[in-house]
Amino acid sequence: MREVAVIFRRELKSYFLSPIAYVFGVLFLGIVLWYTSTAQILNGQPASMEHFFRFLPLVFLFFLPGLTMRLWAEERRSGTIELLMTFPVRIGQLISGKFFAALAFLAIVLLFTIGLPLTLSMYGKLDWVPVLGAYLATLLLAGAYLAVGMFWSSTTRDQIVALLLSLVSLLLLYAMGFPELLEWLAQFLPSWGIDLLNGISPYKYFTSIARGVFDTRDLLYYLCFCGFFLHANALVLYARRHRG
Amino acid sequence: MIEVERLTKDYGMAHALKGISFAVARGEVIGFLGPNGAGKSTTMKILTGYLLPTSGRASVDGLDVVADSLQVRARIGYLPESTPLYGEMRVDDYLRFCAEIRGVPATQRRTAIGRAVELCGLQRVTGKNIVELSKGYKQRVGLAQAIVHEPEVLILDEPTSGLDPNQIVEVRNLIERLGQDHTVILSTHYLQEVEKSCSRVIIVSQGQIVADDSRDALVAAMPRSTIYARIQGPEQAVRNQLAELFPGREVQLSTEADGSLHVRVGVGEAKAPVEEALARLVVKNNWSLLELGRERSTLEDVFRQLTMEASVEAMHA
Repeated sequence: MREVAVIFRRELKSYFLSPIAYVFGVLFLGIVLWYTSTAQILNGQPASMEHFFRFLPLVFLFFLPGLTMRLWAEERRSGTIELLMTFPVRIGQLISGKFFAALAFLAIVLLFTIGLPLTLSMYGKLDWVPVLGAYLATLLLAGAYLAVGMFWSSTTRDQIVALLLSLVSLLLLYAMGFPELLEWLAQFLPSWGIDLLNGISPYKYFTSIARGVFDTRDLLYYLCFCGFFLHANALVLYARRHRG
Repeated sequence: MIEVERLTKDYGMAHALKGISFAVARGEVIGFLGPNGAGKSTTMKILTGYLLPTSGRASVDGLDVVADSLQVRARIGYLPESTPLYGEMRVDDYLRFCAEIRGVPATQRRTAIGRAVELCGLQRVTGKNIVELSKGYKQRVGLAQAIVHEPEVLILDEPTSGLDPNQIVEVRNLIERLGQDHTVILSTHYLQEVEKSCSRVIIVSQGQIVADDSRDALVAAMPRSTIYARIQGPEQAVRNQLAELFPGREVQLSTEADGSLHVRVGVGEAKAPVEEALARLVVKNNWSLLELGRERSTLEDVFRQLTMEASVEAMHA
């Protein structure tokens, strides 16, 4: 645990030592808040956070690869990976530290959106339970995206390559959650293939949690999804020890 | 302290290490010499647990580098080639990070970092970002990182490459000090470094050990010494007489700017007083002798000879 905590602190701090944190924070919050306020207030709909939460998976798609692209690629480019891998620390501990640091950074940024539900609750009656549930779902979804991005980052020493690979794979995963696309694909694929594609997409599970329906199966899904990609990440690093 | 047995490492089709074996006793300072690509870094990366060997085994303090990798790593301080560092961090933050991740207890952390800072002469730069430091200072930060947890073994991969002559001297002095209470393996291109700080030299070439001995023994085993002299006299006569004096040996003769003749003769292991014979010859002919001396072979000669032999063999194989 100590090792994970040490890596976690260093990684989290390094977000704030680079301009990434500020560019990311300002752009992300700007886009999200602007979209939500126009969609919600101008339309005069009842107080609800639904627009905000439904918009996040799309924004994350473009923003989160930016948070994960350097996690391993930069270590590989600068050679510091050789330091990390020769510290008396397990690969799993390195991965956990980095993963939770990225997630924590995102959580900090999301904390700035708390003004949104606060404002809504001032003007109308806001049910806080589903809102908090949706925040949790958002973190789970972000975790899934970050695990994918971090995996790609471990496969290359070029941050831009990591960014593009994450972007494309997340885009595909996102699209697989849309019924329209799946209906179209049903012409070419057997039904179990469609179920599989739909079952993998993190977006599918997000919509139900974001609506305030919390199912342990959804939680389990996210844990498995993250576990899969974090494990793949570890395999890439192990393979490097063999290959050199 | 360190034992390496028939270690091999293949990178795809290339054989980086072809079965090397050596042992290092506690407190020894070993110089690891070899041309680029000889296998120095690969050996060090295997010892530090960064790479897995293809076959063979290596142990540190009786612990296997593969099976007990974490315990081995805890005992080693490592400076990788080209000194990777987290540039955006401050020197003190970075050293604290290294101490923490290596499990230096919180109560001793301050002392441990202070000791490393002092030993490496970093007092003036602890508050600076690493990117802002000169190459020499970065190198010292890398060394401080390697010793902050007081490891028993130090593995330093080319600790002085890319430094200017003053920085090289500083780092070399530092390594010498560290060698007093650590077991050290250092790789280098600079032979003077080995002459100064290492008790033993291992020369690798083409993935194999071609020599493993004390520096003096290696040099002594090279039967090559050269007599040199500066003589004032008629060139043709000098040439003829010298050829007579050293039958069967090649005599190099060149004219210096002041008109004197520079003479070099390889005399091999000849113990006979060839200097005296040469001096008599000069006196007899009434020339004047401006300079006379003998050059012993250096570690550099040993290095060149052994690594050339190995690469020639590899070409024929």
